[in-house]
Amino acid sequence: MTWRRLLRREVFLCVLIVGLIAFNSVLFPSVFPKLGNFSAILRGLAFDGIMACGMMLLLVGGTFDLSVGSIFSMTGVIAGWLMKEAGVAVPLAVLGGVASGLLAGLLNGLIVAHVKVNALIATLGTMGIYRGVAVLVGGPGIAFLPASFSKPGQTVILGLQAPVWLLIAIAALANFLLAKTRFFRQYYYIGNNATAARLSGINVARLQVVAFAIMGLLAGVAGITFASRVGTSVSVSGDGAELRVITAAILGGASLNGGRGTIWGALIGVVFVAMINNALIIGSVSVYWQSIITGTVLVLAVAMDRFTRSV
Amino acid sequence: MKALSNVNFDVLPGEVHALCGENGAGKSTLMHLLAGVYQPDSGSIAIDGAGVVKIADENHAQQLGIAIVYQERSLFGLLNLAENLFVNRQPVSSGGWIDRKALFARAKTLLAEVNLNFEPDTPTGHLSPAQQQMLEIAKALSIDSRIFILDEPTAALTLAETDTLFTLIRKLQQRGVGIVYISHRLDEIFQIANRVSVLKDGVMQGTWNTAEVTLEQLVASMVGRERLYEHFERTLPGSVNPTLEVRGMCDARLKDVSFKAYAGEILGLAGLAGAGRSELALAIFGARPVTAGEVLVDGRPIRITSPVEAMSAGIGYLPEDRKEQGLFPEMNIAENIAAACLDRFGGWLVKDNSVSSAAAKSMQRLCIAATGPEKRVSTLSGGNQQKVLLSRWLLRDPSILIVDEPTRGIDVGAKAEIYRTLRTLANEGKTVIVISSDLPEILAIADRILVMREGAVAAEMLAGQATEERIVRYAATSQEFAN
Repeated sequence: MTWRRLLRREVFLCVLIVGLIAFNSVLFPSVFPKLGNFSAILRGLAFDGIMACGMMLLLVGGTFDLSVGSIFSMTGVIAGWLMKEAGVAVPLAVLGGVASGLLAGLLNGLIVAHVKVNALIATLGTMGIYRGVAVLVGGPGIAFLPASFSKPGQTVILGLQAPVWLLIAIAALANFLLAKTRFFRQYYYIGNNATAARLSGINVARLQVVAFAIMGLLAGVAGITFASRVGTSVSVSGDGAELRVITAAILGGASLNGGRGTIWGALIGVVFVAMINNALIIGSVSVYWQSIITGTVLVLAVAMDRFTRSV
Repeated sequence: MKALSNVNFDVLPGEVHALCGENGAGKSTLMHLLAGVYQPDSGSIAIDGAGVVKIADENHAQQLGIAIVYQERSLFGLLNLAENLFVNRQPVSSGGWIDRKALFARAKTLLAEVNLNFEPDTPTGHLSPAQQQMLEIAKALSIDSRIFILDEPTAALTLAETDTLFTLIRKLQQRGVGIVYISHRLDEIFQIANRVSVLKDGVMQGTWNTAEVTLEQLVASMVGRERLYEHFERTLPGSVNPTLEVRGMCDARLKDVSFKAYAGEILGLAGLAGAGRSELALAIFGARPVTAGEVLVDGRPIRITSPVEAMSAGIGYLPEDRKEQGLFPEMNIAENIAAACLDRFGGWLVKDNSVSSAAAKSMQRLCIAATGPEKRVSTLSGGNQQKVLLSRWLLRDPSILIVDEPTRGIDVGAKAEIYRTLRTLANEGKTVIVISSDLPEILAIADRILVMREGAVAAEMLAGQATEERIVRYAATSQEFAN
């Protein structure tokens, strides 16, 4: 049975990543295996990583959220607008941005769990709504945000950028919560069989709302951290994030049928996607290829999933 | 591991040859060999007219005239009846288009043959599980077959539908079709089969003419036990105050249902499928909204709008459909058993060890055959899965437990275990309500029986006064006629 354990998604992905590192180091010896490059990869994946924690929770519970990229953009813009246009103090503006993410997630959850609109349709719709709100509030974006806001996002501690530390903290907490606590264990039951969970006394609808709210909150945290890092609220900053984040989570062992996946699996998935994108960048492949490659990886991951499971 | 060893089995034209055995005895494997799903390691299959054949796959089996009605339905709920009957084989007109007229006409004939009074364009999802089973049989009929294999065909059927099925089987017999009839319901075998074979652990125990064998003999060869139904000593409700009282419950399917259940008794709910028994149970359990009605537990009215509230009022419900409503297929036995009382294991964190040890205890109590509590529940046989689900409620320990078709499609060994457990619960002073379409079962285990018909309680009788005929009279005919 050991080969089956080797086929465990997380382990398999780690092996792939090591292979990818070796491959890139040979291919681009002058650029790739440098501290600066690794630091850039980590900095780039921090935002997707934070969102992947929430996405994994949703996928374990048998659902997903397409609106994360839009929430990411919207919260950054709202925080920027509050501090720049409305003259709200920076900490309050940040809080306001995060709260808008939480509310957006809450709305998604209520539509899915209580109005019972299919998650695909519901979050496809809110994806458009939140994206629209972002552009409505911020136009193309809000630049020159106060230094007291952009400074924390650009701080480097022990060689790692602040967003990376934030990711590490959130992921460690999320991993602990999902793996060990009774409350979050219930999501595995829901994802496995929602009807059976309900008939076993698990409050499925409430838990789904909570998961969407957490997703919105995390997308908000990621969006504002990004705005802080670049010192600007860009209204399209989150576009396409849903593809990368869902791809990462599925790669990391989640299933669209629900009931499986771990936080650290999602993180390894994020690292994998970021490594591929990094290789494309240093290989001077057009950025337009990134989306094509990520999409291909998603389809391949699901196909591989079907294959390994039928073995 | 060998699933079958050196098995000889034959079916004659116009004969019903029943095949029985406990779950895991090898019945399904034998069936899969005939369907071409598996290939035998040794041995051969011969078919009249075709000689010795190697059945490559399911299509090939169909061409050879073998039709199989699986226990698990394989229908498309959103497509209509005609489309389900002729998946892949729709009649086409000259242009290659589906010939709807011919399709519907042929579908109509087939539906009439199995007594399904529906238009061919009815969405299949509108049919009850029993009716879908009949549709499945109609589908097999549409392939002009010489050999029919029915796997637990009556597991989801009511008495009336079982009668329709038997009429159909007799018609097929007259046409010279050979029928393999796999069933756990031994009394049916005596009604319909000419010969009966018993498999145990992949070995054929024997083949008898049904006229020359007794039920006790068959059961003994299946399990080495003499009796299928242990007749327990009945205890009539000793307490005067009901533990559960339902008053005037109404919804789309229920018509003013009122009844009382007492501590220490097993109350049976009999009736045909669609009589509203499961709906009643779901309504009491808070999983189905009602338009009117009151539930009283120990004399106090309780507001129940969700299973969570029902459970805190001390009510448990073991649902009808193991796979759809009960099991968490990818989780292990321990996690499945713990599902209804996650709040009992530690505070904030999951205590996997205490979950495992509680599960191990439950496994012992109900004789669940598995290597350990870490075993994935989907790998277990139906009987063991059902025991896992019952264990879930034993662990929760509600004072009122409603079990819905607790032994559907499981082997006699597991059945006996479940009956024994339900009786123990009643003896401990719990209130047990058993919903069952299996009349001998309900007669054997219930102390008191409520018969439901069309969403209402049609009759109440003590087990001593109940007979199958009396129950059926109330369940299947209008009140005036029954009196």
